[in-house]
Amino acid sequence: EKMASKISVVLRPVKSIVVRFCPFEPNVESTRKFLQCIYHKKIQATNRNCEVTADVRHDGSEPLVDVMFADGDRLIMKGANLTTVEMLTALGSRCNAKDLKEEQKSKKKSP
Amino acid sequence: GAGVGRAGCRVPRPTRLPPGWLPALQLARRGSKAVTRHWKAMHFQRQKLLAVTEYLPPRPAVPPRCLPAPRDRPEEEDGYVRLLRRQVEEAFRSSRMVAVCQYNSMPDEDVVTMRHYLRKHNIEVKFVLNEVVRPVLAQSKYRNLLPLFVCRNILLVSPETRAREMLRVLKGIPQVNLLGACIDDTILSRQGVENFSRLPSLEASQGQTVGALALLPSQTSSLLQRGPSLLTALLDEHIRRLRDTGTPGEPPQEQGTG
Repeated sequence: EKMASKISVVLRPVKSIVVRFCPFEPNVESTRKFLQCIYHKKIQATNRNCEVTADVRHDGSEPLVDVMFADGDRLIMKGANLTTVEMLTALGSRCNAKDLKEEQKSKKKSP
Repeated sequence: GAGVGRAGCRVPRPTRLPPGWLPALQLARRGSKAVTRHWKAMHFQRQKLLAVTEYLPPRPAVPPRCLPAPRDRPEEEDGYVRLLRRQVEEAFRSSRMVAVCQYNSMPDEDVVTMRHYLRKHNIEVKFVLNEVVRPVLAQSKYRNLLPLFVCRNILLVSPETRAREMLRVLKGIPQVNLLGACIDDTILSRQGVENFSRLPSLEASQGQTVGALALLPSQTSSLLQRGPSLLTALLDEHIRRLRDTGTPGEPPQEQGTG
């Protein structure tokens, strides 16, 4: 559980994150922990414009994390059978890849 | 005897000491002092002595991982944990509304502001540990609230049921997510709390019920009088017609109801 707070995610390429879960279901722990880690100081500091919304329902639906990126990509993670660390690393790797792409693009533009 | 060297310390001179008598002071200046600012290498004899007398922990004959694991001792009830559990029980007993929210890390001043605004509506914020709350809930009638208590949670307890104000305050705080509540011994989900907040107050609904129930009895007297009053009106009309047409023969039939 200490691992989850050590993973740093750069949220710069992310536009919004919606975390949907049903708290009375038994399989929501990893999604809730993911939401808790996303609200950490360091991760929030990387991008203040990223809107993180928590959608609390009671319809027996599966826990879901919906990430919208600034360049239009969408990442949907179904948290029922994923651990927090897996979700964070998946998001982190995609953010890093997009960041690198942005840097390369900006370097190409301004030689 | 020993001669006095520079700075007053005794320089050992090969003199004859009587048997059984060791010199009280024996200083020798040789190179740097004992306590230096740089790292000073140990004397070789000292190094050897320390190496020989190094501590070697005793190794058990059978390594511990080959032995069967020791059965976990039953946890002793901590007095502090007991106190916290008692406080939680007291909070559940004395409040009409208990809301469970997920707490994600918030800056401290925001926590204080939230506490302040909720206190204005007589709602108290309690930080709870899951391991403290879970046994309390499991033995009480709030068993269905158990799955809510994973990750960090806070309890909002209040002797009144002001759900509307609570929702308004929590709407402005994205880091606290309302999961569910127990209002007047009824477990509600988030949607349930929102519906509850839209209900009219108890006095208003009581007034509405009383008004609806009193509607029919208020009509009874007019309902009973409808038949006879219709008859009276018809007879009056008849008399008027007779008078108008001017036939004196017909006796005015005036039969008023008793």
